[in-house]
Amino acid sequence: MIVCVAVVGHQNNPLYIQSFTEADDALKLHHIVHCSLDVVDERVNNPKKSGPMLNETFLGLLYPTDNYKVYGYLTNTKVKFILVTTDLDVRDADVRNFFRKFHTAYVDAVSNPFHVPGKKITSRIFAERVSTIVKSFGLNSAG
Amino acid sequence: MEEFPEELRTPPVTLLSMVGCPEHHNLISTHFLSEHPPINTLALPDLSKIYLFSRKKKDSDSTAMFPPPGILKRDWLIKHRTKVPAVLAALFPAHHVFGDPAQWLQVCTDLDSIKTVIRARNIKLAVLILQLNGQDEINEDRMIALRKRAEVDSKFVVLLNPNDTLELKESLRRLANTFSELASTYYRDQGRAIKLRIEKKSVNSVELVVRYCFKVAVYAEFRSDWAEALKFYEEAYHTLREIAGVSTKLSAVQRLVEIKTIAEQLHFKISTLLLLSGKVIEAVTWFRQHKNAYRKLVGAPEVIFLHWEWMSRQFLVFAELLETSLKSTQSFSPVHLGSSAKLLSVWECYPAYYYQLAAHNLSEKRSALELTVSMSETYDAVDSNAQSVVPSVYVGQFARLIEQGDNVDMLPISDEEYTRYAVSEGRRFQDSFEIIALLRKAYESYSSLKILRMSSLCGFQMAKEYFSEGDISNAKQNFDSITSLYRKEGWVTLLWDALGYLRECSRKTGSIKDFVEYSLEMAALPVSSGTGVQRDTGPAGPASLLQKEIIQKEVFTLVSEASGFISDEHPSNLKITGDKPLHLEVDLVSPLRLVLLASVAFHEQTIKPGASTLITVSLLSHLPLTVEIDQLEIQFNQSDCNFLIANAQKPQSLEVSAVQQRRIETAPSLLLASNKWLRLTYAIQSDKSGKLECLSVIAKIGSHFTICCRAESPASLDSLPLWTSENCIETVPIKDPILALSGQKSSQVEEADPQVDLHLDASGPALVGEIFLVPVTVISKGHDIYSGEMKINLVDVKGGGLFSPKESEPFSMAHHVQLIGISGPEGENESQLDSDYIKQVQQSFGLISVPFLKNGDRWSCKLEIQWHRPKPIMLYVSLSYNPYADESTAQKVHVHKQLEIEGHTAIVLNHHFLVPFRRNPLLLSWNKQSSDSDPSESLPLNEKNVLIVGAKNYDGVENTCSIQHGNEELPELNLLVPGEECKKVFCVTPNMNISRINLGTVCLRWRRDMGVQEQSVSSATLPWVVTKEKLPDRNVEVPPLIVSLECPPYAILGDPFTFYVKILNQTRFLQEVKYSLADSQSFVLSGSHNDTIYVLPKSEHILSYKLVPLSSGMQQMPRFSMTSVRYSALLQPPNSSSSVFVFPSKPHFKTDGSTNNRVDSIAS
Repeated sequence: MIVCVAVVGHQNNPLYIQSFTEADDALKLHHIVHCSLDVVDERVNNPKKSGPMLNETFLGLLYPTDNYKVYGYLTNTKVKFILVTTDLDVRDADVRNFFRKFHTAYVDAVSNPFHVPGKKITSRIFAERVSTIVKSFGLNSAG
Repeated sequence: MEEFPEELRTPPVTLLSMVGCPEHHNLISTHFLSEHPPINTLALPDLSKIYLFSRKKKDSDSTAMFPPPGILKRDWLIKHRTKVPAVLAALFPAHHVFGDPAQWLQVCTDLDSIKTVIRARNIKLAVLILQLNGQDEINEDRMIALRKRAEVDSKFVVLLNPNDTLELKESLRRLANTFSELASTYYRDQGRAIKLRIEKKSVNSVELVVRYCFKVAVYAEFRSDWAEALKFYEEAYHTLREIAGVSTKLSAVQRLVEIKTIAEQLHFKISTLLLLSGKVIEAVTWFRQHKNAYRKLVGAPEVIFLHWEWMSRQFLVFAELLETSLKSTQSFSPVHLGSSAKLLSVWECYPAYYYQLAAHNLSEKRSALELTVSMSETYDAVDSNAQSVVPSVYVGQFARLIEQGDNVDMLPISDEEYTRYAVSEGRRFQDSFEIIALLRKAYESYSSLKILRMSSLCGFQMAKEYFSEGDISNAKQNFDSITSLYRKEGWVTLLWDALGYLRECSRKTGSIKDFVEYSLEMAALPVSSGTGVQRDTGPAGPASLLQKEIIQKEVFTLVSEASGFISDEHPSNLKITGDKPLHLEVDLVSPLRLVLLASVAFHEQTIKPGASTLITVSLLSHLPLTVEIDQLEIQFNQSDCNFLIANAQKPQSLEVSAVQQRRIETAPSLLLASNKWLRLTYAIQSDKSGKLECLSVIAKIGSHFTICCRAESPASLDSLPLWTSENCIETVPIKDPILALSGQKSSQVEEADPQVDLHLDASGPALVGEIFLVPVTVISKGHDIYSGEMKINLVDVKGGGLFSPKESEPFSMAHHVQLIGISGPEGENESQLDSDYIKQVQQSFGLISVPFLKNGDRWSCKLEIQWHRPKPIMLYVSLSYNPYADESTAQKVHVHKQLEIEGHTAIVLNHHFLVPFRRNPLLLSWNKQSSDSDPSESLPLNEKNVLIVGAKNYDGVENTCSIQHGNEELPELNLLVPGEECKKVFCVTPNMNISRINLGTVCLRWRRDMGVQEQSVSSATLPWVVTKEKLPDRNVEVPPLIVSLECPPYAILGDPFTFYVKILNQTRFLQEVKYSLADSQSFVLSGSHNDTIYVLPKSEHILSYKLVPLSSGMQQMPRFSMTSVRYSALLQPPNSSSSVFVFPSKPHFKTDGSTNNRVDSIAS
């Protein structure tokens, strides 16, 4: 189950962060997302370490914790997407698929002429789309 | 790692025992310890102690018990490391072995008793014969007998001479090799025996398999066979997993503890071995498997805390191992990592990661323990029984110690007893300190790796731990250090949480300033309700608009009701009094910019002094509720301009400020609504020229609370850091769009208009060489002039510079145009001037002070400028003065004037040489060169030459110059009009027979003719200018032949006259000369036309002709030309010298004409 998704801007500032959990751990998820930016930075700044990852938007598993897995995605405009999930065996293909859908939703949201680049994404449509994508994440892997 | 016993932490070391000859034990054992690998020695002074090695009897039937009471015995390893040697070395002195039979018999007896003891344990035997003195001869028979008796191979009977210092070291080394070989044989045999037991599958208990595998691994380690050791440790570990899966014992709690303890030890060994061999990846992978395998084995609910403690220890130990390994190898190769790290994250190779997780698990343990304690009241009572629980013989087991007199017995305990024991043990530890220590390690480690966000998280957790421990100062320090990152990256929810803690910290320490700052920052944060953080909150409360409002209200209640009233919610240490007013500074980087932002714009870029302009002060606050400001103070760099804006609705603030002698404006209301600019526009004027800048805006709220906000220009207004990404409307501080884009917080106050005239009166172009005077006049028209100062600058118009250091001229001439001096007005000389008078003159710069002038006065001086080159220059004169006597306050006023002055060459000198009239020396050098070349290159010796020097007034049209020659013989003054040339004639007679002579220099003294009306002035003041020109050097030659033509000065038509040609031979040789005379139409000629004649040495040959003129006027006489045969040189006098004027009839001269004079002078 996806517990948190985030869009992070150029200054590593959060543009959109939404947790999908009933528990009281939203703050903890914010911390996890924030910390995973360290890994993104490292991947981006030292492309040697992650040789084959070069020129790929999907950054893979970022940060192992006991209970969560954190995946990252870097768009061409250097906007970062972070996904935190509690499923411990996740197929890479599922995550890639999720990010692709998420990216499309993001592109649609920022293409809104009333959206100012660099500002937080407050579009309600975007939030709805994201929650649909998040819900369909588990189903896809099952099917 | 310290939890593990020493023997587990270090690799095992071979143990050797020595018996006999105790005086030499020390030497050998010291040497063996320094060997590589080292060998520990157990020295037995004599044979009587050998029973220590004898095997106890009960060991033999321990295998019979099923299942065995424990997996590993606690003291097994230490026994093999310190008590049971692999080799026993029996030391005998040589004279005992090879000496008399009685002693030999004793040796045999000793050997027998040793053999019986060690055989039970398969300890290897070696015999060391000490040759104490060199005389001992070696008896081969005895040697063989000894070998047989001891039942050892020949190489294990070693001779050693401890007194042979030369060989000792080498023999000891050999000895060590021998012994370690023997020892490894022993360990291999032992290992093999146990391995056999495993392979035969005769072992019917899994526990024993684990034990045997462990033993085999340890024996392999003794032999430094790391691969085998690793293999069997892993085997043991995997077998242990099977037990863990099917644990059937009743006392499940203790069983799990035992299994985990052994798993931990095995894992520790495996990790150590892997890391020692540099297999970081394998070690990390292994650790992950280990962690995952045991994570689910939580155990009974009341002892969950033991599981967390155990997990935490796993992480800690692995972190320490990894750190040591990385430190020692220093070869952390990320490339290698990347290749196989498909599943691994880089993080798993950082020790900090494990420290962090260790801390996390430990905090889990703490909460689990707290839960256990709270659930059961029985643990509260001090359990006396728990005191007697001790670790039992087996690793990971505990037993009750029962003392019955001298007998000590151990009884197994029930799970319940054990749980009670574990809880009481667990409560003894201060977990917080441990957690903080772990987090600090992780924090420092991450920080050193520049992994900022992870280290911030560790810092945050650490600070929270400190906070809950009540260590406020440490908590505050840690929170403070992490908030900057959250501010920078705009993680408002995290910042909100941290600030909430900080706010509580400052509330607890009673730091009112911090409390207000943190509260205001929190209240101004862009918190929206959509962040989702609603319930999981620290002391900050939920991040919501409502909470922001609550916080703001609390702070403003605190600051505005400072006059004694303190509400009950606040502790008494949080109050503001008149003694300690609260003053907050907000600068450009302060987080409090969100709370109050002041933007100040002048409506005009420049202001006249005394004139008034408008200034707009705009304030912005992101506080959720409207703030009412009592009074605003605007501060400028010119403190006279400061003014106050009072809130009309708060009259008491006026009373306070009325005391001060300031300008006070009143605004109808000073209400600062959330995210709305409060714009206030007022007039401002300044009398002082220079920059007028607004420094700060101080807002006063309540009687003791002020916020000082640094003024910012709207043009360079940075956006507020945290609000930039918010979706709120961007507003500008000023409505005027031009000012909003370009408004500045500072304005330039111009200086007062000068009321002084400055005149430069230059009379036309300057002449090179003369001292050109430029009169400068200062006329005051309305201002008095105090401490006036005039600066003069000469600048090349073309920008080429007035200085040319490249040219090889003397330094003073290097300046093409030079300021020579400044002469004051007439009647004023230097002695009258006071000490303030400055006069400074440099090549192109001058400074002169102007005396005090009253309104209407005038003052003048003259600048003396000399041109060295004809060049136009620009003369800049600037006058600065004080219009008022008071120097300290008044501003200087400046007047500038400029003038372009041309420079011209005044006089051009020229010269040429002439030979005497009708006397033509034959100069050989003339003939050698082509006929057209300049004949004046050489001068004939002892002949009178004529030098004509001309000076032409080259200077334009307007000026005339009077010229005086620097020749004493010619003192008269000539006046040269422009374009006129003045000529003077000199005679030059070389009389020294030198090849080249220096003719000297023409000096021309001249001065500008100022015209009639200024004649008297100019002659008195103007100095003479000397123009010099060096004449070129000339060659001097002795002419061999000189031809002179002689004829009367004039002729009369039809009247015959005689024409002589005199050829003078100046040489000592006979000269053959061919001459010819060309006919002329104007004359009838008598005499030979051409001939060859011989002229005697030092004599003169005269040719005479009679000529009758046939026509009147200037007539060309027949031309004479001659060729010297000796020199093959042609001489032809010039046409001018062979012409004569023919009168039509005889003239009658009445007076002497100037022409006649002139001709005479030339002729003479």
